[in-house]
Amino acid sequence: MADILGLIWAGMVSGCLYALGALGIVLIYKSSNVVNFAHGNLAGLAAFLVFGFTAGILGNMAWGAALMVTLAIMFAVMAVSYFVIAPLVFKSDLTSTIATLGIGLIAQGITQLVFGSNVVSLDLPLPKWSAQIGSMRISAYDVAVLFVTAASVGLLYLLIERTRVGIAFRAVSANPFASRVCGLSLRRIHLFSFVVAGLLGLVAALLIVPTTFLSSTSVSSFMLQAFAAAVVGGFSSLPGAVVGGVFIGVLMNLLSFYVAAEFTNTYLLAVILLTLNVFPKGVLARRGGARV
Amino acid sequence: MSEATMTSAPVARATNAAPSKPVTPMSERKPFPLRTVAGMMVLLVLIALPLLAGGYWTFTLGLCFANAIAILSVSFLVRYGGEVSIGHGVFVAAGAYTVALMEKYLGVSVLAALPFAAVAGALLGIAFAYPSRNLSGIYLAVATMALALALPELLLYFSSITGGYEGLYVKRDALPGISRDLQRYYVPLAGLVVVALLLRQFRRSRQALALLLIRTSAPAAESFGVRRSWARLSCMALSAGIAAIGGALLAFSSSTVSPNSFTLWTSIFLLVGSVVSLYSLGMFGSLIGGIFLTLMPLLLAGAGDWVPILYGGALLLVVLGANLMPESWRARLGGGRA
Repeated sequence: MADILGLIWAGMVSGCLYALGALGIVLIYKSSNVVNFAHGNLAGLAAFLVFGFTAGILGNMAWGAALMVTLAIMFAVMAVSYFVIAPLVFKSDLTSTIATLGIGLIAQGITQLVFGSNVVSLDLPLPKWSAQIGSMRISAYDVAVLFVTAASVGLLYLLIERTRVGIAFRAVSANPFASRVCGLSLRRIHLFSFVVAGLLGLVAALLIVPTTFLSSTSVSSFMLQAFAAAVVGGFSSLPGAVVGGVFIGVLMNLLSFYVAAEFTNTYLLAVILLTLNVFPKGVLARRGGARV
Repeated sequence: MSEATMTSAPVARATNAAPSKPVTPMSERKPFPLRTVAGMMVLLVLIALPLLAGGYWTFTLGLCFANAIAILSVSFLVRYGGEVSIGHGVFVAAGAYTVALMEKYLGVSVLAALPFAAVAGALLGIAFAYPSRNLSGIYLAVATMALALALPELLLYFSSITGGYEGLYVKRDALPGISRDLQRYYVPLAGLVVVALLLRQFRRSRQALALLLIRTSAPAAESFGVRRSWARLSCMALSAGIAAIGGALLAFSSSTVSPNSFTLWTSIFLLVGSVVSLYSLGMFGSLIGGIFLTLMPLLLAGAGDWVPILYGGALLLVVLGANLMPESWRARLGGGRA
């Protein structure tokens, strides 16, 4: 029982990353009803780009510069991937969701083509520092993850609650038809959510890398946890995504320590099915009946 | 035999149930003899092909037929359920492992194991669909994705039964007296023809009508006494059963099963094949998907890393292309068919 605090702490740290991933998925879903299955692959591509720019494959830059270039590229990639599926978005949710799988496949293929399928390691520029409090081992990495997550969530909150584009986003997610009547451009809001989701994905992908190694599939398999977090939180709730992320992080850590470590995906399947059965719309979603 | 089943974006109609022009049901229309004749010709060519082509091609085409059945199961779910699954590799695996395990422990061949494989797949489908019976499109898609990712873990954990990474072999002949190469060609071909014919019959059944009604308007169907959760369960069971038949024949014609062949990618590729076949429920439409899925990587030999790009590109092209088609074409291709 002595380890439990340490486990919860480590789970919270990884849960923050799942939350960032889930936020991106939920942002896109809320505005356009598209489930972006390419999210993990695009985020993985982004992490590889940072790796490529710092490790001399595509260039040899300082960390900050590499990050800036990658941000710019991701901006373009997300815009392109939105415009590819844009003709489908208003037609059918499921067709556009299938199309995101196509984008994911292409992103995965490009990553393998450019960087190979080998596992690489990418070091974040963090100080080597750690402290021990009881059974909790707190490292500079943990602090960085918490800080970056808090900053990202805070910025996102300000963006959505306090800016014009945020108000537009909320209007579109509440009622697309009324928003269009009021003269909002739905496409622009969709594009906004795709780009912001891509940037959140980049941040999450970069922060995951030190815990696992970077391979062309590692980030996309990580994304299942983000999906589970989104489901637990209710697919269309931004605070739910954060709560779900932390919950999934802690739960996975406890289960893999106390039960067995090799069943991560099976636990996630069970959690997803259980949550959807008990709370069909997620824990934090608004309740409501269907009108016939 | 029916290229008429080729359709564009039925998913589009699944979510937005705009009333389309009433179309005469196929059963009332006069059968189109030319098309049937053409179908028989192609079938005859397929039957005669092993006499002309070498062992490599018969082997690969056998895989194509088995994959085509698996693709039919994905299309079935899309057409009748209006749902997208990216976890059908799991049901395919259920069929494949049933055959392999029954051969290992009971010593029976694929033909004897086939009904059990179908039942095992259908039961697994129900077991999975029951907790998710009230879920709509995206939730089901996410749940199937988790299912696909969980399968390899479970297969590896029970490695004393499933053979772990190595997998199992399927060696026993199905039909004595015929060379093994030919068996691996004709048995999946026969399976594909039978499944396609059964699906054609199914289209005329009450069950099919109930499923289509549910898909078009759930409240209307419920007022007719068709329960939504029941429709989901039966649709999933049928689809998973078909997938398991495909898996059983796939195990037979590739003569081996292993967790490596049933990853998340398998499931995604099956969906790609289904989209490329335009969700056809006919034999030739699904065969196009199966050929695309099996032959493309072989034709681009050595293009390993290009395969995801190729599949992803094809997926986007077909989905976007179908969307660009004029409404009248789509209506004609879609017809009154499921």
